[in-house]
Amino acid sequence: MDNLLGLWQESGLYLMTPGQMVMIAVGLLLLFLAINKNFEPLLLVPIGFGGILANIPGAELASSAVDAALHGAHPDVLAAFAHTLGLEIGSSLEAVKDAYNHASVSVQSQLSLQAADFGYSNGMLYNFYSVAIASGIAPLVIFMGVGAMTDFGPLLANPKTLFLGAAAQFGIFATIMGAVGMSYLGWMDFSIADAAAIGIIGGADGPTAIYVSSLLAPELLGAIAVAAYSYMALVPLIQPPIMRALTTEEERKISMTQLRVVSKREKIAFPIVVLILVAMLLPSAAPLLGMFCFGNLMKECGVVDRLSDTAQNALINITTIFLGLSVGSKLAADKFLDPKTLGILALGIVAFGIGTAMGVLMAKLMNKFSEHKLNPLIGSAGVSAVPMAARVSNRVGLEANPQNFLLMHAMGPNVAGVIGSAVAAGVMISMVQSMGG
Amino acid sequence: MQESIIQQGVDLLIFGMGTVFVFLTVLVIATLGMSSFIRRFFPDAVAPVTEPAPTTPSNSVDPRHLAIIKAAIEKHRNKQ
Repeated sequence: MDNLLGLWQESGLYLMTPGQMVMIAVGLLLLFLAINKNFEPLLLVPIGFGGILANIPGAELASSAVDAALHGAHPDVLAAFAHTLGLEIGSSLEAVKDAYNHASVSVQSQLSLQAADFGYSNGMLYNFYSVAIASGIAPLVIFMGVGAMTDFGPLLANPKTLFLGAAAQFGIFATIMGAVGMSYLGWMDFSIADAAAIGIIGGADGPTAIYVSSLLAPELLGAIAVAAYSYMALVPLIQPPIMRALTTEEERKISMTQLRVVSKREKIAFPIVVLILVAMLLPSAAPLLGMFCFGNLMKECGVVDRLSDTAQNALINITTIFLGLSVGSKLAADKFLDPKTLGILALGIVAFGIGTAMGVLMAKLMNKFSEHKLNPLIGSAGVSAVPMAARVSNRVGLEANPQNFLLMHAMGPNVAGVIGSAVAAGVMISMVQSMGG
Repeated sequence: MQESIIQQGVDLLIFGMGTVFVFLTVLVIATLGMSSFIRRFFPDAVAPVTEPAPTTPSNSVDPRHLAIIKAAIEKHRNKQ
């Protein structure tokens, strides 16, 4: 009878908390959206599945050894932890948790060794997270793969479209102001680092958003990544109303001149030019843009096709699997079910909207000063989300004029948006870290 | 503290957006410079593409026909 009772107390049904139940439902919802609605399935399938794994009661897959030990709350373990943290023996669980969260890195690693002594180990997803995301590796490897898949031809043929990519980054900074405003009004408790990490959702670039939030606000990473990828999937719904509202029928009909042919040598030189400029002007953006340029150079130089092929296929696929599962590990109930998540989801969609609007308005502004008219619809592609946003520009353009193919023209601002959000990410990381918040 | 977080947000907005624009403006200038430099001094990429184009029609036999004829001869010989 005792054995039966023990088995029951070990079972998922007995240990399940309401929060975990809700999060498993969220994971299933993400899987449904990915499989049935085709919402960024490459990311949302691993994220949704990882989210379910992270909420399996009793398994503690997403917890570190210390978290698992604190969860077990054995008196001997607590006493040992309290001793290491310099608390009185017999301190409460909450006091130990609080002291642990505020302890220095060296003390925290001491505690994790101590937890190992007591037989606790890191959960599987926690290990994935520390290797793939906490180290920064997975988003950077993905950025390299994206670089190896990017064709800068349309951008090189019309470099002015870089300005559209710059303007669309206003969404990032407007969202930061939104997040800061929310904390000022006392609705939410976002620090400036949190605000910066939320703002980067407006960059509409998954790896950049994950990279920035892993550095600035790791506890919000789950919500930020889910918001970024869900809204990227929703770009075809979010953007067109904004684009139509800001342009006239005449402007949407503007057809653009054929892009000139870009030579191989220009394409090879471009990533090197970007790299040199980053090195000289903006070293803080070097990890992201360095990997991006490296991937692109491998593609364009034509002598390392094997490496380029690996970067854009096998390697990016492997990395995506672990990135997705690691992001899923951040969907543990105690961290995700927080009013902040709602704030992040709300701010994220505003970020996309403002970015789209600014790209379109910038294109209209440039038309005032230039002879070669731009179709303002390509401005919306400045919010990265490659290649979805460019396809949206093309589709809305075809509605106004069935002979008007904007896809290649929109790819220019689209890849400019990738560079723009990486630059914005670099600036924010260095500024926020120097603010000490 | 509450005032300063707004201040920090405004700082991020101004310097961040400023940096993005300055960097991309410099990149536009550098790209235009690089393109015109390469197109002026190393424009070889276009030449070889146009070169072989006129040679094909000057051949008396179209390569596709040639392949068909070769295959026919081959088949005939194999029969014998």
